[in-house]
Amino acid sequence: MSNAKQSNELIEQLATTERSFIRFTLGQRWEHVIVIISFTILLFTGLPQKYRTTTWSQTILSTPERVEMIRQIHHIAAVVLIAEVIYHLGFALYLLFKRKLSGEMFPTWQDFKDAWQMIKYLLFLSKRKPAFGKYNFEQKFTYWFIFFGIGIMVITGLILWFPIFFTQFLPGGIIPAAKLAHSSEAIVAVIFIITWHVYHNHLERQNLSIFTGRLNEKEYRKFHPLEYQRITGEKPEPNEAGGR
Amino acid sequence: MAAHNQFRTFLIFLIGFLILIISYLMTNSAVQAQETEGYCLSCHNNPDLKMTFPNGETLSLNVSPEMLQHSIHSQQGIECEACHTNIKSYPHPQIDYQNPRELSLAYYASCKKCHSINYDKAHDSIHAKALEAGNLNAPVCTDCHGAHDVRSPNKPRTTISETCRKCHSKIYDEYKSSIHGNALINEENEDVPVCTNCHGVHNIQDPRTAQFRIETPELCAGCHADQELMSKYGLPSDVYNIYKLSWHGMDVAVYKAKWPTIWHESAVCTDCHGVHNILPADNPASSVNPKNLLSTCQKCHPDAGPNWTGAWTGHQKISLERTPYLFYTDLFYSYFAPAVLWMSVIYVILQIIHATVDRFRRNM
Repeated sequence: MSNAKQSNELIEQLATTERSFIRFTLGQRWEHVIVIISFTILLFTGLPQKYRTTTWSQTILSTPERVEMIRQIHHIAAVVLIAEVIYHLGFALYLLFKRKLSGEMFPTWQDFKDAWQMIKYLLFLSKRKPAFGKYNFEQKFTYWFIFFGIGIMVITGLILWFPIFFTQFLPGGIIPAAKLAHSSEAIVAVIFIITWHVYHNHLERQNLSIFTGRLNEKEYRKFHPLEYQRITGEKPEPNEAGGR
Repeated sequence: MAAHNQFRTFLIFLIGFLILIISYLMTNSAVQAQETEGYCLSCHNNPDLKMTFPNGETLSLNVSPEMLQHSIHSQQGIECEACHTNIKSYPHPQIDYQNPRELSLAYYASCKKCHSINYDKAHDSIHAKALEAGNLNAPVCTDCHGAHDVRSPNKPRTTISETCRKCHSKIYDEYKSSIHGNALINEENEDVPVCTNCHGVHNIQDPRTAQFRIETPELCAGCHADQELMSKYGLPSDVYNIYKLSWHGMDVAVYKAKWPTIWHESAVCTDCHGVHNILPADNPASSVNPKNLLSTCQKCHPDAGPNWTGAWTGHQKISLERTPYLFYTDLFYSYFAPAVLWMSVIYVILQIIHATVDRFRRNM
């Protein structure tokens, strides 16, 4: 979402001694927090429902009232997540109409080339690490994996919540399919976040820019050299660009 | 000398043989003679013999030898006074029951003497509770088994349903036209359930309770999950296992395990298939015939539209023909999603290996 105003802010940043750059807007940071909270609640209220025949689930859901309660909490968290999805898509549409929607998050051919180069690098077949822009292909993959994951969860979740309504115009066969998809996708999403997302943002390096909104100069130069070059006009040193 | 010895041996054998004959005749006479039975019949064989109760009702006191001939008790030499314990002589002691039913209710207690286990079981039954609650028509032993003509209760098997029919005639009529009842009555089938297979024999419980309801799937599974039995009739034996995976089945399993006494509406077998009137799904009158399925679903899901029945996978495994949506979803989550996940995980592992190697090299 680079625009004139944002660029001006970034240039202002250059003047400060401890240089860091705005990476996420306040709105985006809040969106992330809302997704974390609703996702966590949905997970912890969903798993006991998925594994209802296990003893641990039956310990939590010890009375029929608790089953009812956990479903209600699940539904409330779902409404919050759906509201967030609507805001996210609505804001993107708004930017699109204003012709301000940034293409930074959309996958490009370069991402596939980067991924191929990265795999060669990881297999010690090449010494060159690809130089990334604002979002590298790992981050784009995260976004779109979660984007479609949430999409599947929201659609199938609504089908399971209002099955009578949806079968008025959709075939009945979608209900058992929705149940299977909702229950499977939840596990897929959790495994993905625990491995991919946690590794890249907490183990590979501690990247909290989605919470703070900023990423410091050093990390920008190292992990997003092309974006660094675009913002500052400085050419990052070749070894940091991936020459190692 | 030798002849004398031979005669003695012969005499010993003769005496032994006589003892054998006499003892045989004596034991045999005990079975057949029925001394008191014959004595009692000398009066009770009279077809006009009856007594009148204070309320004006009469009870025939006629017991015919033909009736006793079928009685399993009479055949085994059990005499009249074994049950009629208060009658030892003639003239009989005065009895003061107000009506014939009161007399029956008093007399059945003598069954306990020999049949104490089944007697106690029967005392835990819904019938005994109804009697306690004041319903004098609730059956006691003799109402089902008979009195002077007690015979094997399940030979032939139809006898059982016929016995229950005496009171539960409406249910019998439903049962008679069901797949089970029809096979029993018209084909003398030995496998189909009669009343007692589902309801129990002496300790029959109220089938309207939450507990009975929640145990229904296991009850039906007793036969319908039996592969050998089902293959005999070309029926699938995995219906119960697939039901357990369904929304209804999982819910019911939890209630059965945790809250068996709390009433729960999630469908059990009988909600869709019927109870006494169960018919095969291809019968147009069956509640699960495709024609009638929607109205069966609507019993619990009143607003369901015509597409709704497509949601039911019909106790069938996932297949492209029957459940294409489920089939493709299953395919996606069986192959595509795990493949993407594995790729992600392998990528992260490669990153970890590379980072470790890098660190190791730097430290060298």
